[in-house]
Amino acid sequence: MSIVFEDLVYRLNAYTSAEGTTFDAVMNDNGVLEVVCSNNDEFSIHMVQTDTQLLTVTPLFHISEVKPELMNELNTQLLHLSPAMPLSSAGIQGEQYILFGSMALNTYFENIVHELEVQAENTLELLEAVSPLLN
Amino acid sequence: MGILSNIVKAFKGGASEVGEAIVDANAVRILEQEIREADQAIHKAKQSLTQLKATEIKLKREVGSLEQDVSDYEAKAMQALEQGKEELAHEVAVRIADIESERDDKAAEYNTLKAEVTSINSMIRKREQTIQKNKRELDKIKTVEQLQKTTTQMSTNFAASGNSQHRVADALSRVKAKQQNWRDKVDAGEWMEEQTSSSDLDSKLKAEGIGESNSSADDILARLKAKK
Repeated sequence: MSIVFEDLVYRLNAYTSAEGTTFDAVMNDNGVLEVVCSNNDEFSIHMVQTDTQLLTVTPLFHISEVKPELMNELNTQLLHLSPAMPLSSAGIQGEQYILFGSMALNTYFENIVHELEVQAENTLELLEAVSPLLN
Repeated sequence: MGILSNIVKAFKGGASEVGEAIVDANAVRILEQEIREADQAIHKAKQSLTQLKATEIKLKREVGSLEQDVSDYEAKAMQALEQGKEELAHEVAVRIADIESERDDKAAEYNTLKAEVTSINSMIRKREQTIQKNKRELDKIKTVEQLQKTTTQMSTNFAASGNSQHRVADALSRVKAKQQNWRDKVDAGEWMEEQTSSSDLDSKLKAEGIGESNSSADDILARLKAKK
């Protein structure tokens, strides 16, 4: 079972949420679906899928963007903030800090959209909270 | 094997190589092959289990029918005895002995088969659990693999945007400015709507002669007279 990303691209681009958010979705060459939500058009969401789940990843910042002496504090803050954020968690992938969510492959379109919208919101809130620790 | 422990080990070995260390293409292929083979083995086991189960049911039916025969002949032997036909009763008893021996053989066969079916069943369940576990492990690997794809994308984007100071802060303030702008527009829209609707209401009221406040000449005269 899998979600056809092309179909998702088409539906996302034509959709406006109840809160008025619109979506710009583009399929990249390497099979990653990149979505820009109008409520946060600076930090796009990258979507990929495995055999069982749909992953939504927002790159936040590179390790090098963290003030070196505040790295530990940042990590602790992120661990504290992560459980408080609805639908998203913070993590590290390679050398990038990311915000990510995961859904079952049989998730309804409306719920996928909701997840994207919330993740875009969470991104702003999280960055606002930790930006004093960044360069 | 625990993929999560491997992630930790790889992370300790060097964060940037996490993905490569965990997502060893060969390991994925081996795991996939194992799952496929186990699936096939289960499929075969299930086929032979169906046949065994059919034989088991058949044996059970046969044992039942032999038992029925035994009790039928026992009744007949009793009748023969009641009628004093001792010799006939003896013949019947010999038949009963034959049937009972056959029944015991079949019952033993049935019991052996039943135990075999149970053990094959539990073997299949165990294998299925292993497959499920392997599939979950495989999904963890695939998750890391997919996440790597997004990281590659990120690195490209990051390289393009450059490691400028205050990148995040700048981006945040741009988003905030846009949001404020959007809110201002919404407010302006609401204000405009309010204006339009209130002037509509005024003209409606005026048309109905309600709340008419424009002084007419007669009103002024009346007021002046009253002052006298």
